[in-house]
Amino acid sequence: MSKEYRFIGKRTPRKDALEIVTGKATYIGDIKKPELLYGKILRSPYPHAEITRIKTDKSEALHGVAAVLTYKNVPDWRTGIPRHVPVLDRKVRFVGDAVAIVAAETAEIASEALDLIEVEYEQLPPVYDVEEAIEPDAPQLHADFPRNLMPLDIPTFGPKTLSEVVMGDVEKGFDEADVIAEGTYGYENIANPLPIEPPGVIARWEDENRLTVWSGTQCASWHRFIMQSKMGFPDIRAIDTQCGGSFGSKNYAPLPLFYAAALAKVTGRPVKVCFTKEEHFGAFVLRLGSRFRGKIGIKKDGTVTAVSGVWFVDTGAFSDMAQAQVAVGCGEAQLMLRCPNWDLRTRLVCTNRSASGVVRGFGGQELESALSPILTMAMEKASLDPVEFFKKNYVKPGEGYFWREGNYWVSRGRDYSEAIDSGARAFGWNEKWKGWLKPTAVNGAKRTGVGVGIHGNADVGEDESEAYVRLNPDATATIYVNISESGMGQRSSLCKMAAEVLQLPLARIHITPADTMVNPFEFGLVGSRGTYAVGSAVIEAAEDARQKLLELAAPKLEAAPEDLETRDGSIYRKERPEAGISWSGAMGIMRTCMGFGRFEPDYSVPNFLIQFVEVEVDTETGRVDLRQVLSATDVGQIIDPLSLEGQLHGALGSAGIDTALFEESILDRTTGHMLNINMIDYKWRTFLELPRFENVILETPLPTHRFKAIGVGEIATSPGPGAVLMAVSNALGVKVSEYPLTPDKILRALGKTGRGKTV
Amino acid sequence: MRSFKHHNVYSLEEAFTLLRDYKSRARLIAGGTDLLGTLKNDIRLEYPEALINIKTIPDLNGIKEDNEGLKIGALTRLIHIVRSSVIEGKYGLLKEAAGSVGTPEIRNMGTIGGNLCQDTRCWYYRYPNQMGGRILCFRKGEGPCHAIKGDNRYHAIMGGKGCYAVCPSDIAIALTALDAELSVAHKGGERVLPITDFYQTLGHILKPDEILTKIRIPQPPDNAAQAFLKYRLRESVDFSIVSVASVITMKDGICKDTRIVLGAVAPTPFRALAAEESIRGKTLDATTAEAAAEAAVSIAKPLSMNAYKIEITKTLVKRALLSSLA
Amino acid sequence: MSSMKEEDREKIAFTVNGVSYELEVGNQPYQIAPSHTLAHTLRETLGLTGTKVGCDQGACGSCTVLMDGDPVLSCMTLTVECHGRSIITIEGLQDRQTGKLNPLQQAFIDNTAFQCGFCTPGMIMAAKSLLEKNPTPNKQDVKEALAGHYCRCISHYHVVEAVLEAAKKGR
Repeated sequence: MSKEYRFIGKRTPRKDALEIVTGKATYIGDIKKPELLYGKILRSPYPHAEITRIKTDKSEALHGVAAVLTYKNVPDWRTGIPRHVPVLDRKVRFVGDAVAIVAAETAEIASEALDLIEVEYEQLPPVYDVEEAIEPDAPQLHADFPRNLMPLDIPTFGPKTLSEVVMGDVEKGFDEADVIAEGTYGYENIANPLPIEPPGVIARWEDENRLTVWSGTQCASWHRFIMQSKMGFPDIRAIDTQCGGSFGSKNYAPLPLFYAAALAKVTGRPVKVCFTKEEHFGAFVLRLGSRFRGKIGIKKDGTVTAVSGVWFVDTGAFSDMAQAQVAVGCGEAQLMLRCPNWDLRTRLVCTNRSASGVVRGFGGQELESALSPILTMAMEKASLDPVEFFKKNYVKPGEGYFWREGNYWVSRGRDYSEAIDSGARAFGWNEKWKGWLKPTAVNGAKRTGVGVGIHGNADVGEDESEAYVRLNPDATATIYVNISESGMGQRSSLCKMAAEVLQLPLARIHITPADTMVNPFEFGLVGSRGTYAVGSAVIEAAEDARQKLLELAAPKLEAAPEDLETRDGSIYRKERPEAGISWSGAMGIMRTCMGFGRFEPDYSVPNFLIQFVEVEVDTETGRVDLRQVLSATDVGQIIDPLSLEGQLHGALGSAGIDTALFEESILDRTTGHMLNINMIDYKWRTFLELPRFENVILETPLPTHRFKAIGVGEIATSPGPGAVLMAVSNALGVKVSEYPLTPDKILRALGKTGRGKTV
Repeated sequence: MRSFKHHNVYSLEEAFTLLRDYKSRARLIAGGTDLLGTLKNDIRLEYPEALINIKTIPDLNGIKEDNEGLKIGALTRLIHIVRSSVIEGKYGLLKEAAGSVGTPEIRNMGTIGGNLCQDTRCWYYRYPNQMGGRILCFRKGEGPCHAIKGDNRYHAIMGGKGCYAVCPSDIAIALTALDAELSVAHKGGERVLPITDFYQTLGHILKPDEILTKIRIPQPPDNAAQAFLKYRLRESVDFSIVSVASVITMKDGICKDTRIVLGAVAPTPFRALAAEESIRGKTLDATTAEAAAEAAVSIAKPLSMNAYKIEITKTLVKRALLSSLA
Repeated sequence: MSSMKEEDREKIAFTVNGVSYELEVGNQPYQIAPSHTLAHTLRETLGLTGTKVGCDQGACGSCTVLMDGDPVLSCMTLTVECHGRSIITIEGLQDRQTGKLNPLQQAFIDNTAFQCGFCTPGMIMAAKSLLEKNPTPNKQDVKEALAGHYCRCISHYHVVEAVLEAAKKGR
């Protein structure tokens, strides 16, 4: 297995555990600043309308109101990709879209002030369907984007941004196929990743150009390095609090930031904008809608010969990072399906509902879930065991793929066959799998079925990270890395890596608060990159600092640095551990040793997860119970076992597996309202519905960094939805391909309910 | 929340006086778990000027049994109903229904009276004002019923008239099966009515100057088998999609009498008289249970998206009846 | 309307974690408005921000505190109705003098029974009440006690382990 480490791979308490269990961990809602104002947003009653008249004088006159802003007097900032989303617009594009913003002494006064704003609208016809929206006569959401088609390039990915997968000769590929499966399938739940904490921001202008932003986000630097370019390049200092969950959706909070900063600028006071849960549901990040219309050709032995089609991606009222997800989705499809012939095009479309943003699964989950019914159709026609199919077709070391920035990468990763086989064995796949559309067991009205899905991502090495490690004379160390804590435990895990390099007790490793003024560049904790990318920078910095320390100690120990070791604050010649000197003895007490590390992007090491599920369907009620989930992966080296388990359990959260069962945002297309914007009507898994959950985690060293590890957190949610469709289809003996599989769909598949009619 | 005045009252008299003084601009607050939600989301056109706290009225909570049956004060918290050894067994249906409500914390706070009087959960009715304006509708006295043409997956499959939102209280279903009566107090007096008269399409029938004070449940017949089945997507938090409560008395393998009540399928608790008729005097087996189940939904007129409730209702009726054989 | 005045409290007195508070009812920033929830008063007026507000709709359990020993949702409780109550929040679990943690807190640390930590205070309060009423719960008892608690990171499995472990180690 893996080396014996002192901290790596061992169960250690998280560095922030004490704060969390005593209620001292500080989230954005817990922070106040002197003279703080509270910001609230007036929201649109219509899905698509022009504001023809807006009067704010009554609202401004209310005692305690400091400012009211409309599209007429907000700063000319723009966010989104491309930059098309202003602070407030003259047009509203979904029910709940922002119309005006108010800052007042209390949140209650701000809310009251909203009622005093007078608005008149001219309603416009809305469009909700992704294919209808690109028809020539469809209502236009944005003047700059005819037919509601968004450009697919994303500047940070470069000029060759992947927006389609085109290679080889699909005609020839389909000719070679033994089996062709074709159809149109959607994964259009537009589910909400719904972290428990709604987004919030405090903004304060220190002077005309310097802005300080506090928030709890997943990527601590984005409010600086991304938002600067959207706001005319102020000098932004982004400070992160603990973040109450994100799952991508709170990588940053561009619109709350815009509102807070605009109100702060005009009032000269700090402004806090914290969304309510209703706003979190109806006016913050949703998963992209995804529809695939195409076909796949395979041979009887499971070789994929051709993939062609159009991937329609619905981003709602505007695009924020959708292009990046399209690019990564296209990349991940190639990881999953080894195929020489592709003609996969994409369309990114705007529709009149609350906008999508980044969600865990990042495009790959969306494409894969829509592809799944076609894939399973093909596998079924060829009578292939899906586990064998996935094993055969997942990218192997030495095989290549175009990644998101358009370059061709050759995998240096692992052959995950062993992980697949271990998982299948532990799950009992061979005993439970009875063939396509065959239940594993039938017990009266209850039928059991099994399914499987896979996912992988080459973003584990995405983007850049920098870190400093400072060694202090008292044999403590400080890591400077701009990382916030949103649940992965990465701040703690990075301390473990540094502790291992420096051989210092964990309690003697400190990590700076997430503050862009203090720390060097750090992209953020996305795409499972924390372990490989950020870890590499921290390890390099620790090794650099350690080297400097040993160079200081060397003359004092009459040895060369390479002959020295340090452990628990003592530096000694390897062969004479009892004759060591302290760190302060080596460096003096008025000095520190600073090391630096930097990671450059590396898209050559895809990670991988296979997920097996077992469901039980009650054919008399349509209820589907998720009985068992087993995930298998190979992470190279476990850094923190409990954090890793937590991340893998996360498959049951954040618009993951339950999008196949009951999770969805319900949009009423007669009025444009989102109907289930509360914690009762939006369905999430409770303690009483916990399936048996096992993780099979192999550790075969990967070519990443000193500890040979990669992360898998981000991909935990993606294989599940397709696997559940497969399992339920098998249980019923009837193919089902609509998400989510609520009782009405199950009963309809069984022919047990007619449709009613309108009264 | 928007502001309001708050008054504690220490007697029903005080409550009636305040209700009279405020006219319709005051609301009673018991556990508050439903009321405060509606105020936070500002769902109605009228916002109360004051809340009248009736938790401070003594003698409105408590569970007492005598030879006539059970008397439960309307302010009795659900957790006490769940924990009551008096209710367990003979009135087990009520314990099951109360124990299925919401979450443990809600059961610590909510009262049985509040549960019976709670407002419907229709998502058009409950749409929060802050997210683009509350939705006006037939139930609110202004506008159409949006469920008819909209998303009606959770709405009524029978008995809808103008409004198709369902009665959200499963305790009402259980109490209907137990043939309960409710005491309603007004200034200077009290009236008693069967629970079946407590609801109409648009909710409970309490006038603005009335207060629900007591629930009386007669002694169930000896050897009455009780069943409560609740179908929902999750076993906690959720309201029912369909629920069934039944009391059935058997003698020598024949059904002597039965009450079968359906929940979440109609604007009021629905006594499935046709189903009761179908099984009365017959032996209870899979065939007769199936026939009763069919009879229970014979008058169903589903909307565009809720026909699936018919199948679930049939299954629950059948299973409730057959469970009494066990 | 004279009958109203003598029954309306002008001061609300309660204890939080053993500390007595007497707060005036009114609309000034340091007073309690009748519409203030207990969650608001704890967090904004008393500065006890350990109790979290996840939904403010009474449906996620984050705001759970103990009121006279029972777990209740502080976001659905009016502060003006808390007169005479004894409230315990997450801040009240440690020993004030020594800082020694409650066994539940220690078990949550030892089992990393959290990820983002936002739901943790509410869960610990509910679990504390469970263990006081049932010192030997089984897995199902724990799940039922926490059935109203939303955790999106999915720390459920570790939480159940932690609560069972705390029960074993005694209160």
